Amino acid sequence: MTNLLSITLWLPIASAVLLLVFPKTAANAIKAFGLLASIATFIASLGILGQFKEGVAGLQLVESLAWIPQWGIRYSLGVDGISLWLILLTTLLTPVVFLSSWNTIHKHPKEYVIAFLIMEAAMIGVFVATDLVLFYVFFELTLLPMYLVIGVWGGANRIYAAIKFFLFTIAGSLLMLFGIIYLGFAHYHDTGTITFAITQLYGTALAPHAQTLLFFAFALAFAIKVPLFPLHTWLPDAHVEAPTGGSIILAGVMLKMGTYGFLRFVLPFFPDATAKYAGLLIALAVIGVIYGALVAWVQPDMKKLVAYSSVSHLGFCVLGIFALNQTSIEGSILQMVNHGLSTGALFLCVGVIYERRHTRLLADYGGLAKTMPVFATFFMISMLSSVGLPGLNGFIGEFLILAGSFQTWPRWTVVAATGVILAAIYLLWLIQRVFFGPITKEENRNVREIAWNEIAALVPLVILMVWIGVRPNTFLRKMTPSVQQLLQIVNKTDASKAMIARNTLPRHSSSVVLDAGGVR
Amino acid sequence: MNLTPLLEAGWMNAILPELVLSLGGIVLILFDAFAPKLRGATAPLAVMVFVAAGWSEMFIVGGDFFGHTYQISAITVIFDCTFLLAALLATLFAKAYLAREGFERGEFYALLMWGTTGMMMMAKGLDLLIVILGLELLSICIFILVGFHRRIAVSNEASLKYFLMGAFATGFVLYGTALFYGAVGSTNLAAFSHYFAKADPANPLLTIAFILLMSGLGFKLAVAPFHGWAPDVYQGAPSPIAGWLSVAPKAATLIALVRIFASMTPVIQQASWMKMVAALSILSMIIGNAVAIAQRDLKRMLAYSGIAHVGYMLIALLSLRDESVAAISVYVITYALMNIGAFGVISMLAKNQNDPQTLDDIAGLGFRRPFYGLALTICMFSLSGLPPTAGFIAKFYIFKTAVDSGHMTIAFIGILTSIVSVYYYLRVVYFLYMKEPETADLHAADAHSLTSPLIDADMFGTGALLISLIGIFTIGLFPTPLLDAAGAAAHALLP
Repeated sequence: MTNLLSITLWLPIASAVLLLVFPKTAANAIKAFGLLASIATFIASLGILGQFKEGVAGLQLVESLAWIPQWGIRYSLGVDGISLWLILLTTLLTPVVFLSSWNTIHKHPKEYVIAFLIMEAAMIGVFVATDLVLFYVFFELTLLPMYLVIGVWGGANRIYAAIKFFLFTIAGSLLMLFGIIYLGFAHYHDTGTITFAITQLYGTALAPHAQTLLFFAFALAFAIKVPLFPLHTWLPDAHVEAPTGGSIILAGVMLKMGTYGFLRFVLPFFPDATAKYAGLLIALAVIGVIYGALVAWVQPDMKKLVAYSSVSHLGFCVLGIFALNQTSIEGSILQMVNHGLSTGALFLCVGVIYERRHTRLLADYGGLAKTMPVFATFFMISMLSSVGLPGLNGFIGEFLILAGSFQTWPRWTVVAATGVILAAIYLLWLIQRVFFGPITKEENRNVREIAWNEIAALVPLVILMVWIGVRPNTFLRKMTPSVQQLLQIVNKTDASKAMIARNTLPRHSSSVVLDAGGVR
Repeated sequence: MNLTPLLEAGWMNAILPELVLSLGGIVLILFDAFAPKLRGATAPLAVMVFVAAGWSEMFIVGGDFFGHTYQISAITVIFDCTFLLAALLATLFAKAYLAREGFERGEFYALLMWGTTGMMMMAKGLDLLIVILGLELLSICIFILVGFHRRIAVSNEASLKYFLMGAFATGFVLYGTALFYGAVGSTNLAAFSHYFAKADPANPLLTIAFILLMSGLGFKLAVAPFHGWAPDVYQGAPSPIAGWLSVAPKAATLIALVRIFASMTPVIQQASWMKMVAALSILSMIIGNAVAIAQRDLKRMLAYSGIAHVGYMLIALLSLRDESVAAISVYVITYALMNIGAFGVISMLAKNQNDPQTLDDIAGLGFRRPFYGLALTICMFSLSGLPPTAGFIAKFYIFKTAVDSGHMTIAFIGILTSIVSVYYYLRVVYFLYMKEPETADLHAADAHSLTSPLIDADMFGTGALLISLIGIFTIGLFPTPLLDAAGAAAHALLP
């Protein structure tokens, strides 16, 4: 089928519209329908994977229709090695959300399912849109459902968190809208055709100061989304207040819209400015790695701890992107998927015990491994994946990022590497205090073991953690040509050549490094 | 007197919509006088008149009429349709409102029709006197409509305020026109074009005349710093009228300004009069959006947001190109749909006119009255310019025009103030869905929700809301036909 991307994109929206006719009281039917719709979407996205041709660098499964021809805006979709796994991550995590919240959402279940389905479609749209304005439309469309999810189904301080989340993001994205219009007209004055197609805007001639301004307009929007230090303050609030499903999607997919934006737009649109300011972003990323880890270390609240660990882990992704070499960028994309899997699973697990004990404080737990052995196993695997234990996915991503960025930014990479150690400290400490040792609180003796739906939600995540950990090349192979092409665009300019010349270490492709590391 | 030279062939066809509306108003008043028992039928009758006027737009002929004082073209058809849309929505929302308040009268709709006729004259006038005549016809209708609720103090206050300020404003417009007449020797815009082609931009007489004219028209636009009346008047006016008032007169004034400004080129650029317009725009965007944050009354909040929206529309006016006129026409149509829709929801939710419509009054309504909640939410998101609504397309067009013609700074200020505006529009959604009503009201509210059906029996209001919502999404998702029509029409006006 040629319009597989459209099917994947519109299936959740069509299901959401169908849900409107369900009576409010039929909670189980609504949840079942939502789950089925999201599984159908996942199957459709597997079709994308099946049709994806390895070794092709450019966009595949391309669809293009005129949308607003007067302004050169098209409904054009496509997928390449950079977006492929992120689409699959989105379609995987949505059924996971529905499964995990099967028994926990009692308030307005219909609106809950509709919100998540629309959110899923918008997130898929972000990753498949190949027109800048279409991308922007989906980018904004993700905000509203997440705002409602946090604000309606969230915790005690949900309103503050929801509004903060919305305002932070919209501030960045409206400035990006200005940048989008400006870029479109720069291209128009340059070539005489008005278009917002991403591939045609690559290589638009821009005056240096204009390129700098546009670079910051786009980078700010994505840096808020990632979030990069010091723009991260909305994230702990949003995560702590969001319901478990909201946290899974927020950490699992939405943060990746920021890192994806850097890769798809900032790097290839503004190669000169990227080369010039890569140091700044790398510095912020590494500060984020360390800062996030240190703050996570001292959190008494489990969910906050995982939230700050996201700041730390996403810092690695940004480091990998702005190190600007094949290995680090491939590692960065893989790490986006890894973080979605492991942090999604961790938030899910925190939700599981919160549901049973209604507290997230570490001090209220201890010895849970005795009462909930199955749950403890899942939590343990997810945590080890997040720490980066060899054999699980986190190790591959972090290793590639560090190996790649060491070639271009050795000093910052050494500092960032300590973040891995810190992650081991705070996550192992979390496990130790929650699951091991004697049972100090009476309430913890009779905690219900993990339920069928929670197991069903966790199993696919754990399988993928092991799969990526053992056979990373299955995943890396598909992104290699696209990343190569991206680097060609970025490295074409003089400034970036100068930067590469400054950094004398030889460059390897990812597979070489993997062989040397003996990961295969 | 022999009028033949003034009455060109086909003049009847040219002013067909105006004729339909004027006669329709008279019929409604007579109907009300002779069949007072059938007052319930006045609203459907009014709807028919507005639809008939819209239908008559298909038969009009373009060109200049009445001795080059009245121009009919594609752009005037678009604006006519905007006025008719605004009046139609106001009529549909007013039906239940008037029935509830107990004064369903034919003259209410008749005044709406004549006001609409006045706006059509403003939009078509090629002579400043025609514009002023239209403005006065419109203003008199507004004075009465704002104070229509004559037994309520706040409504009277609003009417008096609008009357006093409006009278002053008209005076300013007349002074400005008189001074222009002194310089040009005519009030005809064709003569203006001729004169301004080689006028001295440093002439202080012209500058003073321009300032006076802009002050008067700025009042009608509710643009800062001439906006002081707007919050009080909107708050006191019947809600459907407030919605209509916040959109239609502004649209009429804007299209009149386009013609006037176009006739003043190139002096208007040379004499830096456009800088004054830019200052008005920036002030409106900043004051409107900043003060709206402090409002808890929904109608006052929408008044301040309206001030900001005029600021955005003025951005497009800065570059007098066909694109800017097209952008303004798309914006006013969109603004009519979303703002009258929002006022309509407020009107339908109120128990009576004295009932203040504050944010607390709509707490938790989103789940209790799902259709109204959803409609208000969509209007708010469209007003804040988020995709995939019409508001996004309209704002995108404005900013695109500004960037294309090099007005970077003001476009940037527009973006920054938009960020501020998201806060107060979002707050409405927050109250709708995330806030529980005060406990004292809770039982009453629950009882109310049990008795009130999913969609209220107010067929007219529900229909108007559906028109608004369908319009918002149609323009938001498939703007191409509208952009084509507006672009072609604007190109014919300012080639």
